[in-house]
Amino acid sequence: MDNTLTAKPAGKSLGKALLYTLPMFLITFVFITGGRLSFTDPAEVLAIFLVFLGMNVLYFLMHYTGETDKFRAVLFIIFAVSLSFTLIKNIVDMRSSMSFSQADIVECRIPFCHLVIPMMIIPAAFTKSIIFPGTILGNFANISSMIVLWLAATIVLGRGFCSWGCFYGGWDDGFSRLRKKPVIRKISDTWKWMPFAVLFMVALTAALTLVPTYCDWICPFKAVTEFEQVTNVESAVKAGVFISLFGGLVVVLPAMTRKRTQCSFLCPLGAINTVSNKVTPFIIKIDKTACSECLKCVAACPLFALTPEGVKAGTVSVFCSKCGKCVDVCENKAIHFGIKGIPPGTMKNFTRNLFLFVSFLFIAVFSAGSIVFTVKSILDFVI
Amino acid sequence: MNKIKIALGIAWAFVCLLIIIILFPGLTGLSRAMAALPFMKINPRYTGGEEAFIKPADACTLVVRKPVFDGLWKERKTGFVQIDWRGDIPENISDTIDYDQDGAPDFTVRINTKTDNSELIPVSTSVKDIDVSTPTSYGWALRVNLKKHY
Repeated sequence: MDNTLTAKPAGKSLGKALLYTLPMFLITFVFITGGRLSFTDPAEVLAIFLVFLGMNVLYFLMHYTGETDKFRAVLFIIFAVSLSFTLIKNIVDMRSSMSFSQADIVECRIPFCHLVIPMMIIPAAFTKSIIFPGTILGNFANISSMIVLWLAATIVLGRGFCSWGCFYGGWDDGFSRLRKKPVIRKISDTWKWMPFAVLFMVALTAALTLVPTYCDWICPFKAVTEFEQVTNVESAVKAGVFISLFGGLVVVLPAMTRKRTQCSFLCPLGAINTVSNKVTPFIIKIDKTACSECLKCVAACPLFALTPEGVKAGTVSVFCSKCGKCVDVCENKAIHFGIKGIPPGTMKNFTRNLFLFVSFLFIAVFSAGSIVFTVKSILDFVI
Repeated sequence: MNKIKIALGIAWAFVCLLIIIILFPGLTGLSRAMAALPFMKINPRYTGGEEAFIKPADACTLVVRKPVFDGLWKERKTGFVQIDWRGDIPENISDTIDYDQDGAPDFTVRINTKTDNSELIPVSTSVKDIDVSTPTSYGWALRVNLKKHY
């Protein structure tokens, strides 16, 4: 363990980086392959091998270079795109369309995603039932599995789920990286409280109507998953809303501000994950003795979690998703991954290694299925 | 005190590491345990409600479900009743339904399954209009909006 106050930056040691990667290499091999490789489908074996290798190279580079965010973002963005591809391909194979029909609702065949969770809590408490036309167990994207996965991730990572687990976050993370410099620089960070208002509104309306109102009317990610068949004025308005929100909050604004605006200003689950940031042991810490208050971290933070006042006081707000961007831009290495209870500036390498192992293992195994499916589809198309 | 805090922090971090390590191999079991919780069932507004009675009708079976008026903590004034035709459905469906089994017919429905045209003839004053009339994997489903009279 590194207990020095001025720990040298992580990385640049090939041996250490390889040593840190070895456990991830072995665990992801077991989890991704299920411990066995069937050679009946060479394309699938190749896809699994490529995904497994790619993930471990990214993890190795995190340790070797000491940088986190850019390697995390590669996997995070690939996850978002491949999940959408997997979902759309499955849906189109099943229904010949990205839109779902009345029959899909009547037969409870709608895939469940974690964004429904904020709306189902109050009705579940009062009616002892889930207000969503999906399946409890079995099938693709069932309700039980998604709740278990999200629950574990939000306890362990807190809002880190939004940067290491959410298969939608990669979309606005990706678009926020399109430009090197932001066009819009000044945005009031008061907007970061907006998801709480959205959470309150959708939880209340869902409870009163027993309809998952966010999914029904707002969710921008219907643009990259599935949406209600446009058959009347109401469904046309809904389509207009989700296309506008996707275009505005996921594509245009992130590209112009270099911020994850959908995650910062809209997502109701992000608001819940913000609260669970109080539970997770993993946090970002600021070593005030090393901080020069250059505020590069404030400018870099994609979720408005850092403020000049906070940095001066050595605090990071609960809005932090532990993406690692601030850690990477800090020239003094004053801002770092930490664990609650451990003073800032101490045991930096140990806390970073432990956090990276936990968070990377989660995203690697969670994303592997859809990325393998996507890579295999590409191989099938090419070969 | 500081050392205790450090030890607790590290212990909690290692517990989290264990949670993630057992999460994926244990996902099936954990999901089953989650599914067994009392609130883990789909609301009748989506499933269509419990089956009330079944009536054979030529090549298919007519399933009438219990009316659904579910609200957050009490029943609502408006709801629906779902009728399913299961099996080989004919081109023209015409059935008279007594969903509350009081001996008096509540509505007659005529559906052309080829053109998707559905016609509802309400008899009871509780029957409003058609909410959903759609082909399904098992045949055809119809939801008729209802209102309660007090």
